[in-house]
Amino acid sequence: MDLDLSEEQQMIIDTTRAVLGEHSTSEVVRLMEDDPKGVAEELWKQLSEVGFNGLLIPESYGGGGMTLLEAAFFYEELGRFMAPVPHFVSCVMSAGVLLEAGSKAQKETWLPKIADGSAILTTAWYEPGRGQGEAGVALEAVSSGDGFVLSGVKRSVPYAAVADQLVVLARTADGVDLFLVDPTSEGLTLTFHQSQGREPHYRIDFDGVQVPAENRIGAAGSGWATWNTVMHDGIILQAASAVGGADRCLMETVEYANQRVQFDKPLGAFQALAHYMADASTKIDGGRVLVHEAAWNRVQGRSVARFAPMAKLFCAETYRETTRVCAQIWGGVAFTIEYDVQMFFRRAKHLQLSWWDTPYLEELVAADVLDR
Amino acid sequence: MNFDFSPEEQKFAEEVDQWLTENHDPVVMDHHRENFTQLADTPERRAFMKKLAAQGWLGMSWPKEYGGQEIEGVYEYILNEALSKHAAPQIGKGVGIIGKTLIRHGSDKLKDEFLPKVLHADIEFAVGYSEPEAGSDAANMQLKAEKVDGGWNLNGQKMWTTSAHFADWYWVGARTDPDKSKHAGLSLFLIPMDHPGLEVQSLPTIGKDTTNQVFFEDVFVPDDYLVGERGKGFQYISEALDLERFTMFTLSPIANRTDVLVDWVKAAQRDDAPLKNDPNVRRTIAQIVTDTAVAKGLSTRFVCAAKDGGGKPPTIPSSQYKLFTTSLSQRVCKDALDITGHEGTIMEGQDEAPLRGRFEGAYRATMNETVGGGSSEIQKNIIARRHLGLPKNF
Repeated sequence: MDLDLSEEQQMIIDTTRAVLGEHSTSEVVRLMEDDPKGVAEELWKQLSEVGFNGLLIPESYGGGGMTLLEAAFFYEELGRFMAPVPHFVSCVMSAGVLLEAGSKAQKETWLPKIADGSAILTTAWYEPGRGQGEAGVALEAVSSGDGFVLSGVKRSVPYAAVADQLVVLARTADGVDLFLVDPTSEGLTLTFHQSQGREPHYRIDFDGVQVPAENRIGAAGSGWATWNTVMHDGIILQAASAVGGADRCLMETVEYANQRVQFDKPLGAFQALAHYMADASTKIDGGRVLVHEAAWNRVQGRSVARFAPMAKLFCAETYRETTRVCAQIWGGVAFTIEYDVQMFFRRAKHLQLSWWDTPYLEELVAADVLDR
Repeated sequence: MNFDFSPEEQKFAEEVDQWLTENHDPVVMDHHRENFTQLADTPERRAFMKKLAAQGWLGMSWPKEYGGQEIEGVYEYILNEALSKHAAPQIGKGVGIIGKTLIRHGSDKLKDEFLPKVLHADIEFAVGYSEPEAGSDAANMQLKAEKVDGGWNLNGQKMWTTSAHFADWYWVGARTDPDKSKHAGLSLFLIPMDHPGLEVQSLPTIGKDTTNQVFFEDVFVPDDYLVGERGKGFQYISEALDLERFTMFTLSPIANRTDVLVDWVKAAQRDDAPLKNDPNVRRTIAQIVTDTAVAKGLSTRFVCAAKDGGGKPPTIPSSQYKLFTTSLSQRVCKDALDITGHEGTIMEGQDEAPLRGRFEGAYRATMNETVGGGSSEIQKNIIARRHLGLPKNF
C-alpha cells in the first residue's frame, strides 16, 4: 500500500493549479455565472494547449492517453477552482461514449477536435418529469427511411449554446440508443434556463428532428449500457471535483476563522466552530482516498460497480455539508452575493443532484451489496 | 499509488488467516465479546497467546538484539487486523507501549526482566494513566509518588484500568515532582499487580466486561522500577502512543459488523417478504457500506503515513481515523437495531433475538469507543490545531 503521488501525477496537479489560479479566479467564475454561454474562453484555450482536454483520449486520436486516476487529480483542481468550462460533458462524457461505442468514423471525426478544444460536445440526457435511470429516457427516436426522427424534450443540457454536437439519449424500438445530433438541425429549439450551480443549461425541444442512421452510436439498443459504463467513470470524477470544492471552501474558512475576532479571540479558538472544521477535514480526506481507490481500481481493470457510486455518494454529501458549516462559520456575510462561500454552497448541492443523485447512487450500492 | 498489500504482506496476511482458521477455538474467539476480544484475560486466551508467540509473531518489529525481527510495523497491523477479524486476542500493550518504551528508555535490568516475558507471552500488563481528575486532561495525574529511601512510596487512585483484574504487572504514571509543570512532573513505574497496598475494585459496565479502579496505599516501588528518567513520564506516554499507531485501533471488528448485518439482511424475511427489498433498509445498507469503505480509506491513509513517515508519527491521519471510525462503529450498531426493528430489544444471548442479539450487545459495547483512547473531542482538537492550524481552543 502506498498513497504517494508519482512525479507525473504531482505535475498534473501543479500545472492545473497554475493554469486555474490564473484563469479561473473568483472574478472569472462570477463573470461566467450570468453568461448564457458560460465558457471562460481563455481558460478553455489554456487547458486545450496544455493538453488537458485530451486527458482521457488515446494518443492515436490526438489525446494524452492518461488514466482515470490522473483525471481524478485534475478534477479535484477543477472543483477547487469552480472552473467554468464544458470539460466534463465534452472531454469525459461525450468522448467517453464515443470511445466506448463510437464507430471509427465517429471517433476520427470528433475525438481529435475534442482533444484540441476546437469542438465542444455536450450530452442531452435529463427529461422533464423523468428520473435518472434507464426508464427515464423517453424522447422518441422513430426509424424512418435511412435515419431516425427525434421528438420530445430534453432539459438541463449543459453548454448547449456552444456545442458543436449533441450526444442524445433516446428511446427507439430497440430500447435506449445514443445519437450524435447537430444542434442546428431543423426542428430543434434551444431555450436557456439557469441552474443552481450557474452552469448554463438549456431546454431542447425536438420537433421531428431528422438524424442520419450513421449517427447512432453503437449497436441498436446498446445506448444505456454504454451510458452506464461511461457514467461510472464520470461520477468518480464528479466525486473528485466535490473533494476539491469542499477542500477549498474549508481552507478559505479556516483562514477567515484565524482572522475574524469576536469576544476578543479568533473564531477558530471556539471549539464549537473548530470542531465543525475538524469534522469536515476528516470527511474530505476520507472522501479523497475513496476517490483515489475507486479510480485506482478502475485503472486495474477491476469492477467499480460499488466504488464509483460510493465515491460520489460520500463526496457529494461531504461537499454539501462542508459548505453548510462553512457558511455557518462565516456568519451573515456568507448569505450575501459579495462573498465567495455562496458560490461553493450552491455548486455543492447542484453537484449532489446531478450525474446521479443520492437515491440513485444508494440504490446502485445497495444492489451491488444485497442482490448479487 | 497502490491500494493492495505487497506480495510479501499479502502472503503474511494469508498465512495468519489460515493459521487462525486452523486454530479456531470458540472459547478463545467470540465476536459477541466485541471490543473485549482483544484481551488475553482467561487461561484459555493466555494459552492462545503462547501459541502466537511460538509462531514468532510477538515483537516482530523489535530490534534483533531484543529478540525481534526488525520488520516493518505494517506486519503487526496485518496481524492485529487478522486477529480481530477472528475475534481473537491481539498483540497489544506488552509488545507495543511497554516493550517499545523499555527498548528505547528502559534500564538493562528492566529490559532483561520484561522483554523475554513479553516475547514468550508469559506476562500481561495493565496500563494506569487515567484518574478521577485525569480523564481527557491526561497530564493532570495526581497519584502521588514520594521519594523514600531506596525507592518511591505511592498513594492515590487510578481509574479505567481495563486489565487490572487479571494482569501480572502494572504500568503506572505518577507525580514524582509536584513542583514542576503538569507535564514535567510525571514518571512511569512498573509494579506487580499483587503488590500489598494495591486494591483493585471492579467497575461493571453496560458493555461486555468490567473495568476497574485501583487504589494505592503506601505502595513501595524500588528505584530500579522507575522507567527511564524521572520526570519524563508524559513524554514517554506520548511517544508510545505515536509508536503504537499500527496496533491501536483495528478496522476489522467494524467491517465484521457491517458484513454480519449485510448477510443477515440478505436472508431475513419480514411479513413474508424479503427484508432486503425494503427501500429504507436498502438506503441504510448503502450508507453503512459506503462509510465503512471511507473508514478503510482512512486506515490506509494512516498505515501509509506510518510506513513512510520518516520517523514522523502519523498523528493527524490517526486522529481522523479514530474520530470517523468510532462514530461509524456506533452508527452501524444503531442502524442495525433500527433494521431489526422491535426484535432488536431482545437482549443478547437469546435465540429469539436476531443474530442472537449481536447488535443489542454491540450497541451497548460500542458506547465507550468515542470516549476511550482519546475522546472524539480531543481528536477534533488535535485535528483543528495541528492539521488546520487553528488557535489553541482550551
